[in-house]
Amino acid sequence: MLKTPLNKISSRVVLTLLICMFVPLHICAQEESSSETSNKSYPSDSAQAWLVKMSDAVKSLNYTISFILLKPGVDSQPYLWRHGVNEDGLEMEQLNLLNGPGREVVRIGDKVSYFEPNVPPYSLQSSIINGPFPSEFFQLPEKLMLSYEFILVGRSRIAGRAAQQIRIISKDKSRFGLNVWLDQETGLLLKMNMFGQEAQLLEQIQVTGLQVTKDPDPFFEKIEPGMLPEVISFGPSAPLNSKWSIGYIPKGMTIIKRDLRRLAVSGEVVEYIMLSDGLVDVSVYLQEKENNKPQENLVGTVQSDTLLTIEHGELNITVIGKLPAATANAIAKSIQRIN
Amino acid sequence: MSQKLENLSALVDGENGVSSSSNNLVLDAVKNDTELQLKWKSYHLIRDGLRQELPANINFDIADKIAQAIEAEPAILAPKKTWRDLPLVSNIVPFAKQGGQMAIAASVAVAMIIGVQQLNQADVNQPFNAAPPIPGIQGGLSPVSFDQTRAIPNSGAVEQKRRINAYMTDHKQQLRFKTIESVNDKSAIMNQDIKNQEAQSDIVENTPQ
Repeated sequence: MLKTPLNKISSRVVLTLLICMFVPLHICAQEESSSETSNKSYPSDSAQAWLVKMSDAVKSLNYTISFILLKPGVDSQPYLWRHGVNEDGLEMEQLNLLNGPGREVVRIGDKVSYFEPNVPPYSLQSSIINGPFPSEFFQLPEKLMLSYEFILVGRSRIAGRAAQQIRIISKDKSRFGLNVWLDQETGLLLKMNMFGQEAQLLEQIQVTGLQVTKDPDPFFEKIEPGMLPEVISFGPSAPLNSKWSIGYIPKGMTIIKRDLRRLAVSGEVVEYIMLSDGLVDVSVYLQEKENNKPQENLVGTVQSDTLLTIEHGELNITVIGKLPAATANAIAKSIQRIN
Repeated sequence: MSQKLENLSALVDGENGVSSSSNNLVLDAVKNDTELQLKWKSYHLIRDGLRQELPANINFDIADKIAQAIEAEPAILAPKKTWRDLPLVSNIVPFAKQGGQMAIAASVAVAMIIGVQQLNQADVNQPFNAAPPIPGIQGGLSPVSFDQTRAIPNSGAVEQKRRINAYMTDHKQQLRFKTIESVNDKSAIMNQDIKNQEAQSDIVENTPQ
């Protein structure tokens, strides 16, 4: 008599407990998924929110920006950078080197066309212009959140406009840092400094003029998409059965390319690996050592790139990219033969 | 007091914005209050620490050191006027000085001429100073092989320069040909990555329970 109601009660208690436990979890999960899709969940005064504002502005506004690229050891390079979105929502972008014989890159949607002296014009299938600035970072700053820390520093005046400064630091100090100044009003880039571990300046982009307009620049109306050069397609390269594996890849970096290739200048065959974290791209070259070819270990900087060449086991390894020499060395030393 | 501290903290963080009047009030308060000055120092130190902007070695009390250095400096008084500062004399003195300089220059030139002459004579008079004839093979190296050993590192350097050049050119080319597929796909992949990471971190947190 007594047992059955007790059983019923206990089962009810268990049920309600279960429901109590699951419902909040479910709500939590829903909230998480919604925040991931909207991207606007950061507090409005956080560095992340500013970078989201920047990437939105870079993709959606009609603007004309002139900027100067400064690197150690070379002359300053002035560029003109235009961007527009037409009525159909098609993105158009132009990048023009203003000194010397010139170099012009035009992007219409996912087609990037290069016009350069001494080279026949060609096009690539890509959604960014891989130019003098890290376009991928402008469009996808979220990609850096795994390996970099964003700090909102303060306001200052850059290129005659109110600017918000953001400092971007590698969490494990394996890469260089960035100081970025964004326009207070539009969120577009006004200045960018790349600095090394002792806070020394490595590379600088300084905007000298910024105009945001309602309509795209008339330059884009003159482009006839049909007249642009053909897209070069690199056939999918045969899967590479490499004997070597990389043991250490800095956090946030991934292998985005790996193949065997012949160097254009020397004709030597090397295995090529490209690492990228969405801000810097690093090239790693592996070359099996030839018997009578001693090679000196060497580390140095070429403009703002670090170049490291070491002899490691049976390989000559060369690492090039905008990263500290210690990290380049760690990557090179971690390469081992697969057993 | 706490309001004062809050104002100071906001100023250090750059949160007061452009309104300079409130900033000036805080600054005046700091000037007249030693406790606030100490806070000012520690707030900046904390801020730099949080932003990881601290220098390798921190020098506290640099102002005190400068003040001490200024104390220790001997006082320089304005020089007294002398007869040299009279208008006529002051015009003549530079002439005299220039004359003196000319005399010095002339005597140096004479000394040099004499010296050079003596040196030349010495050379002529001492034939033993000439380099001794090279006796065949010395220390296992003939002059010819010496030249070769010098040439090898040179060609090695050229070779290395060529190799570096080849790698740099290829690196630039690779960056140029790097293509990014449609941004939407990429962001989807990235979201997945973040999700995975979060999932992993959840597991790590849950295991102790």
